[in-house]
Amino acid sequence: MNSDPIFELRRVTQQFGHFLALDDINLQIYPGERVALVGSSGAGKSTLLRLLNGTLLPNRGEVWALGKNLSRLSSRQLRRVQRQIGTIYQQFQLVDSLRVIHNVNAGHLGRWSFWRAALSLVYPLEVKTAAAALHRVGIPEKLYARTDQLSGGQQQRVAIARVLVQDPPVVLADEPVSSLDPALSQEVMSLLRTLVQESGKTLVTSLHSVELARNHCDRIIGLRNGRILFDAPPASVSAEMIDALYRLKE
Amino acid sequence: MDQPLSRPSPLNQRAIWGLVAFGAIALSLYQAGLFQRDWLNLGGLSQLGRFFQASVQPDLSPEFLRLTLNAIVVTLAYAVCGTCLSLLFGLVGGVLVSEVWWQSVFPRQAKQRSIWLTIRAGLAIPRAIHELIWGLFLINIFGLDPLVAIVAIAIPYGAIVAKVFSEILDETPRQPLMALLSSGVAPLTAFTYSLLPQAFLDLLSYSFYRFECSIRSAAVLGIIGAGGLGYQILLSLQSLRYEQLWTLFYALFVLNGTVDLTSAVLRHRLGSPSRLDLNLRRDNRSKSQKLEELRDGYSTSSDGQESHPTQNAADQVSMLKQQRQPRDRGVMVAGLGAVLLIPFCFWYVSADFSKLWSPRTMQLLADITQSSLPPNFDGEQLPQLLALSWQTLAMSILAIAAAGIGGILLSFPAAHNFFLPGGLLNPTQSSRLGCLLAWGMLLLTRSVLLIARAVPAPIWALVALFVLFPGILPGAIALGLHNLGILGRLMAEVAENLDQRPLLALKAQGTPASLVFLYGVLPTTMTRFLAYILYRWEVCMRETVIVGLVGAGGLGRLLTEQLSSFDYSSVIVTLSSFVVLTFIVDWVSGRMRRSLR
Repeated sequence: MNSDPIFELRRVTQQFGHFLALDDINLQIYPGERVALVGSSGAGKSTLLRLLNGTLLPNRGEVWALGKNLSRLSSRQLRRVQRQIGTIYQQFQLVDSLRVIHNVNAGHLGRWSFWRAALSLVYPLEVKTAAAALHRVGIPEKLYARTDQLSGGQQQRVAIARVLVQDPPVVLADEPVSSLDPALSQEVMSLLRTLVQESGKTLVTSLHSVELARNHCDRIIGLRNGRILFDAPPASVSAEMIDALYRLKE
Repeated sequence: MDQPLSRPSPLNQRAIWGLVAFGAIALSLYQAGLFQRDWLNLGGLSQLGRFFQASVQPDLSPEFLRLTLNAIVVTLAYAVCGTCLSLLFGLVGGVLVSEVWWQSVFPRQAKQRSIWLTIRAGLAIPRAIHELIWGLFLINIFGLDPLVAIVAIAIPYGAIVAKVFSEILDETPRQPLMALLSSGVAPLTAFTYSLLPQAFLDLLSYSFYRFECSIRSAAVLGIIGAGGLGYQILLSLQSLRYEQLWTLFYALFVLNGTVDLTSAVLRHRLGSPSRLDLNLRRDNRSKSQKLEELRDGYSTSSDGQESHPTQNAADQVSMLKQQRQPRDRGVMVAGLGAVLLIPFCFWYVSADFSKLWSPRTMQLLADITQSSLPPNFDGEQLPQLLALSWQTLAMSILAIAAAGIGGILLSFPAAHNFFLPGGLLNPTQSSRLGCLLAWGMLLLTRSVLLIARAVPAPIWALVALFVLFPGILPGAIALGLHNLGILGRLMAEVAENLDQRPLLALKAQGTPASLVFLYGVLPTTMTRFLAYILYRWEVCMRETVIVGLVGAGGLGRLLTEQLSSFDYSSVIVTLSSFVVLTFIVDWVSGRMRRSLR
């Protein structure tokens, strides 16, 4: 395995007003890993993911992604790094009023020229790629449907298809299944995992359920009050460690 | 893999309406004579130059300033009184024509439905006729009395408010009302305890918007002699005293700007960010959506999903907290101001309300009714009426097309969340110069929009006539400019209340700003932009009469001529064709808006 980390956080502290979201975090994530972030709300999971994809720059410390210090990049250079990072969100991150094909094709936008993208809105381009991606996520028949007419689970599949089209080496997922029911959660997580495993991508996902984390990831990071409480493979994460993670007050 | 899906036909309902729209615009351009005849009057350029030159040297002599101040107060007072009466009428009417009222008072009688529908349809007629026509008509009855301006605003506005209020009430969730009714509470009491407080914010927000509109109407009504800023502007323009004209213009900008700003701040404080919510089903309206987001932000921290208040969210939450507090000082001051302002305005205009029911009025009304019957109509007029109707229609289409395109272009630089530092489309990390430039552009576009909407359309038409030959083109340009100001601001508001999450998601995957705009901003805003444009088209159609007044052609011109020569039997024919035309436009606009959903 490649020895250079794909992500590295060096003494990262992130504060929102008086709220300390992350406190002096050091972390390395290597290519091909499937990492789950667990912990109660306010522990810093979403903040961590936003730091990783460069939508947030740290107050203190350094975030390195794909060998670049994100704080040091111009916006053009930052975009070039961001194109290699795909992100899936809990919900609402698709453009509702567009057809599914355009939302899927949005995965190309980092590469497409303005005119190509504009043309595609009128006459959809790369339909085959989009159709294949939708086929992979199990909703091939929705290619030309309006996105706001899809169910929550279907919308999440469209979001995954978009990341497939983007085809980045790293996929970040922020609570990808918390707005879905348990059966659907299992299904979508399995899908996500298969897709990542097949092409040897790296996955970093925050998860609400420790169970899902155990089943689908090979490394679990427990966050509590902006600090890393544990960082271990699923087999060595004990029930006590989980208890400590969610206990209300020491 | 399965058979690839075939592409859906490009000829869907939207595309067809789009083609219809383009066809209509092309035909209207043809009608305007853009291709056949000379329409530009270069001889007027020097006049136009003088006009603009005067903008830097307005007349600031003390006596003229006093006159201006007086005119401001008169216009404001007309607007306040007109709005008050129309809201009163609208509230009563709104409850009476709401579906929910009829259903709760007469739950089982199907016969009542026809009565309800009749009343509802009956309101469409006062609504279809512009304030100015009401004004010209009322002048013949009341003479030159401030009452003319107030009633001319109150009648059509009352009908519009009644319609909108009834729609708001019908869209408000009914369970609380039903619960009260089923426990035996009388309908009116039940309404006051459930629907009215539930819908209060929406009703209030719309009332603010109406007040903004009635300031503009009050200025227009001045032109027919009711006094105030519009009247003074017309006098100065006719006597070619451009320096005075600009003093009055500046007064108009200040008045409009102040009212719009106050209304925006108040609505924001009250938690109702948008003036009009068009084309949105209740469940995904921006306001409720926004509140839900905030509530999510609140609850997620307690029910297990992770969320931390980001800077922005924290602001919003504190804003929400402020709203929750029963007393906001700003709102209190505004309320107190309104309580003082309203009696003052009624006192200041000192309209003779007894004229409303005086025997003389009744006599005049009877006379007019008598002289208007039978309508003076024979088949020979038909071609002329049709030709004028088409001119009117063409004028409204050209105006709204220009206003729509301009509005879309100006709305983004006028919205504060796009080009400013930290904005969605701000491409560079903010340098000081870029920041200054962005703010400059924002202020500039907002001023342009304010100027465009503050100057009444007939005045724009007179200015356009400096360099254009009379016809529907100057009328369309005037209406277009005026509506551009209104549309641009409404659209900027849409852009500011946009759901940002999909856009941030696009940004996060390294999409350049231009493509975020193309794939995120445009699709989410365009349907609502088009809905606003279509809605304004309906208004624009009614407004064609006010540029007709200054000779821009169409039915409006004929109508004003007939009204001022007391030819009521012809007035009624022209007015009927105008009302029919308005209904047709409303119907088409309604269909187009539905296909946008």
